[in-house]
Amino acid sequence: MKKSTKWLLMSLVTVFILTAAVTLSFGKVTLRFSDWHMGEAHWLKALEEAKVIFEKQYPDIKITFEPVSYGEKETKYITASEAGQAPDVMHLHAYSLAAFIEKGYALDLTPFINKEKAGFLDAWYALPLTLCTYKGKVYAMPGDYMAQVLVRNTELFMKAGFDPAKPPVTWDEFLEYAQALTVDRDGDFKVDQWGFGMIGAKSPGFELRFSPFVWSFGADYLTEDMKHSALDTPEAAEAIKFFVSLYREYGVAPPGATAFGPFDVRTQLAQEKVAMNIGSGWTVPIVDSINPELGASQVLEYSAVPVKRKAITSAWLSAWIISPNSKHPREAWEWTKFITSKEMELKWFRDASVLSARQDVSGVSLEILEDKHAKVVAYELAFAKFVPQIKEWPEIIDAVTTAVQEGLIGVKTPEKALADAHKRINAILAR
Amino acid sequence: MRALGIQQQQTIKISLVYFFLVLVSIFVFFPFVWMFLTSLKTNPEALRIPPTWVPQKLTFEAYIAIWTRKPFGTYFMNSVMIASCTAAISTFLGALAGYGFSRFIFRGKTLLLGAFLATQMLPGGLLIGPYFKILARIGLFNTRTGLIIAFITICLPFSTWMLKGFFDTIPPELDQAAMIDGCSRIGAFRRVLLPVAKPGMVATVLFAFLLAWGDVLWALCLTSTHEMSTVTLGILRFVGEFQVYWPMLMAGSIIGSVPAIILYIMLQKFLITGLTAGAVKG
Amino acid sequence: MLALRIKDKQMGYFFILPAALMLLAVIIYPAIYSLKLSFTSESEALYSLTNYAELFRDALFWQAFRNTLVFVGVVVTLHLVIGFSIAMALNTRIKARLLFRLIVLLPWTVPDVVAGITWKWIYDPVYGALNDLLSRLNLIDAPILWLSDPKLAMASIIFADIWRGFPFVMLILLSGLQAIPRELYEAAKIDRASGFQSFRYITLPSLKKIVGVALALDIIWEFRRFGLVQTMTQGGPGHQTEVFSTLIYKEYFQFFRFEYASAIAVIMSIILLSLSLPYIWMISKE
Repeated sequence: MKKSTKWLLMSLVTVFILTAAVTLSFGKVTLRFSDWHMGEAHWLKALEEAKVIFEKQYPDIKITFEPVSYGEKETKYITASEAGQAPDVMHLHAYSLAAFIEKGYALDLTPFINKEKAGFLDAWYALPLTLCTYKGKVYAMPGDYMAQVLVRNTELFMKAGFDPAKPPVTWDEFLEYAQALTVDRDGDFKVDQWGFGMIGAKSPGFELRFSPFVWSFGADYLTEDMKHSALDTPEAAEAIKFFVSLYREYGVAPPGATAFGPFDVRTQLAQEKVAMNIGSGWTVPIVDSINPELGASQVLEYSAVPVKRKAITSAWLSAWIISPNSKHPREAWEWTKFITSKEMELKWFRDASVLSARQDVSGVSLEILEDKHAKVVAYELAFAKFVPQIKEWPEIIDAVTTAVQEGLIGVKTPEKALADAHKRINAILAR
Repeated sequence: MRALGIQQQQTIKISLVYFFLVLVSIFVFFPFVWMFLTSLKTNPEALRIPPTWVPQKLTFEAYIAIWTRKPFGTYFMNSVMIASCTAAISTFLGALAGYGFSRFIFRGKTLLLGAFLATQMLPGGLLIGPYFKILARIGLFNTRTGLIIAFITICLPFSTWMLKGFFDTIPPELDQAAMIDGCSRIGAFRRVLLPVAKPGMVATVLFAFLLAWGDVLWALCLTSTHEMSTVTLGILRFVGEFQVYWPMLMAGSIIGSVPAIILYIMLQKFLITGLTAGAVKG
Repeated sequence: MLALRIKDKQMGYFFILPAALMLLAVIIYPAIYSLKLSFTSESEALYSLTNYAELFRDALFWQAFRNTLVFVGVVVTLHLVIGFSIAMALNTRIKARLLFRLIVLLPWTVPDVVAGITWKWIYDPVYGALNDLLSRLNLIDAPILWLSDPKLAMASIIFADIWRGFPFVMLILLSGLQAIPRELYEAAKIDRASGFQSFRYITLPSLKKIVGVALALDIIWEFRRFGLVQTMTQGGPGHQTEVFSTLIYKEYFQFFRFEYASAIAVIMSIILLSLSLPYIWMISKE
């Protein structure tokens, strides 16, 4: 017994010493950098190239990559931030930005910005900057910035007798098109191609694709002071009814929508199971890698999201934050500045087809403005709107998603589900 | 039934057993077949609608890619180390505690037994934050040791209860006989009870190993670099923002199952060593 | 004799001490921290019952409560039934038993998150393997919406969890069966006891305690089952498959309501504790 205890203690101590020795690093400043993009081959390559350039420019700074998967990043960053061990630089998307800032997981960047040239921030679009600003201080640097667009498969359009150059402009037209594009292709009396790829799963991808419905019908989630739900309007009811009817009444979306996330729908698009979906800059390259035989860059075309009362779409933003527990905030700022610089933002576009929140990239670069897909995404930025930036937002959109799902599976009528969500959101905001 | 001879009854019984086991195997294998076939496909083919069953273009790309594109070897080493240490230590400590609970009457026993179990009732997601703080303070964040300690505490209550259950089934006369023969308590525990409890220990070793191997939440939060990452975390990184790399995900899962299978095969012989007349006589 | 007894009592503590210390050192701070958190709220400075008051009024909490009971009840029962039948079958002296013992263990080697991802894919109505197989066999006309049909979603998750979880129970029971002295059966055979009789009078009583342990631990583990449900439905559609673990995760990591999540977790622990108290009491009285 005694022997075993001794052995155990000794082995524990040895393991401890060994690991401590390995984790200790000497010399230069090492920055911990975490980004979900490291999980994607093309992104990882781009980031590694950027790292090489940066380390040449700043020989005293060494960047270590800390990969994280897209779905797990919040879990990881929250836990690490709470324990004061977060990576120095983290990549977030707008979905959780407000809560991270309010919880104090993001360093105030204003002092650094003030030391830069006057008008440093002018290079960025104003709207994404407001998302990074909280009580007058800037806590994040905007990264990718894109508007949602309608993606259509022109080949399937031609097969259905539509002019491939003419996308549906209104939601009513959209429904007509979607119905004509919902067909039985192999003649077994079962529908095997649908007009619209619908995302109905609980995921950040949902709010991006559902919000254009809500807004273009003239409704909104919250009142202007953001203190109450605004989902009790007839417009909101109309929007959710229309969305649900696409699935239940008209059957223009594949069965099982509540389980489909963005990835599932893109696969359906790539396999020509759906003719249209709502996507953005990333759609073509991913669809191309899912099914190279489709020839996505030729076959897929982008256009504005259809309109009911207003021409409006939703905006996607990713942002960079520096952790307040960072021991090298100055170096972290240099790296953040570097990866959001004009040159790098252009590189991200070339390597990953994402558009930048920098006006001097997305609004100026001919590479972007002459690209048949990117130009639509860039143009639609003028009509793009963000979901409300309050820390209760994840809870609010969860209530909305629940309502839509309940409508889709038919356990409640869309009106009843919406009324319940309205009540729940008001309860959340009244806390 | 009466009309049948014992031999025939036996044959029927055995065929029924086989039939049942084959049914169960189909149930077990269905997802595995799918996983395996997928792992042999190219990425575009894995995503085809309707799905293909037999890969049209058979490729081992995914199996090569997981080793070359990611530091899968490092992940593997980490997981093997973490899982085996967890399994060994938690089974050892659990056997001691299980024996203590099984053989002794002492004040506060019910409370302690309950407390052991109660430590498992709070969900991990909640405990992980404060545990992280402790780890960070003592410098064990992003180390294998920190993970091992965490996993041991998750497994310990299980192995204690499990082995207590086993010791309970062994008649106390057995250790008394050994002690009368001149063994100390510890001697009786080591020479008589431990060998007899081997099947139970197989279960706890496997349990702890698989728990440490398959965990995501703790490994995700308590490690930060590639060097400390585990196999399961590595596998899950094939689920990216934009894509799921099904063939690699499936290949990684299949490879990830191998160590546990090897361990189980190694432990098989202990599972069979049951209680025999020899043991009862001490 | 008396001296031996006193010494024995101390020996009891001695055996338990290492494990108890280890648990104490690691769990006590996080546990107290969570407990404390559950009594704090953003609006009030001092400790209060705000979170608990909110919780009991929250319809979602009650739905998660019902769902958890259904999920755990069905899963654990079927784990036990299937695990026990297989353990019995594998305890016979058939030739291929080593092979089968390995086969039935396989699902357990798949991490539950990976199992969830894989099953979700298999269930997919458009490109999943299960619907494809069923329609190739001409068993179905239209794809079955395994995870989107409110009547099927929970059942589909339960099915996947049974697949992944039964080997655990099976292995414990098999170990238990192996520990039953063969002499008992041989004696029974000499006494001309039927197969059923020896099952009823030897197997069951000998296994009673092990079954108890397997049940208690499986209940706790299934109460906490998270990865599988999260990857398959995230509690949806609607809240049809919302269980405690997904709700706590959501409140904590998505809604940043650490205090409220702690309160749910504390209630969950209390439910578990009250479920297991009679059992703990029974065990320690023996």
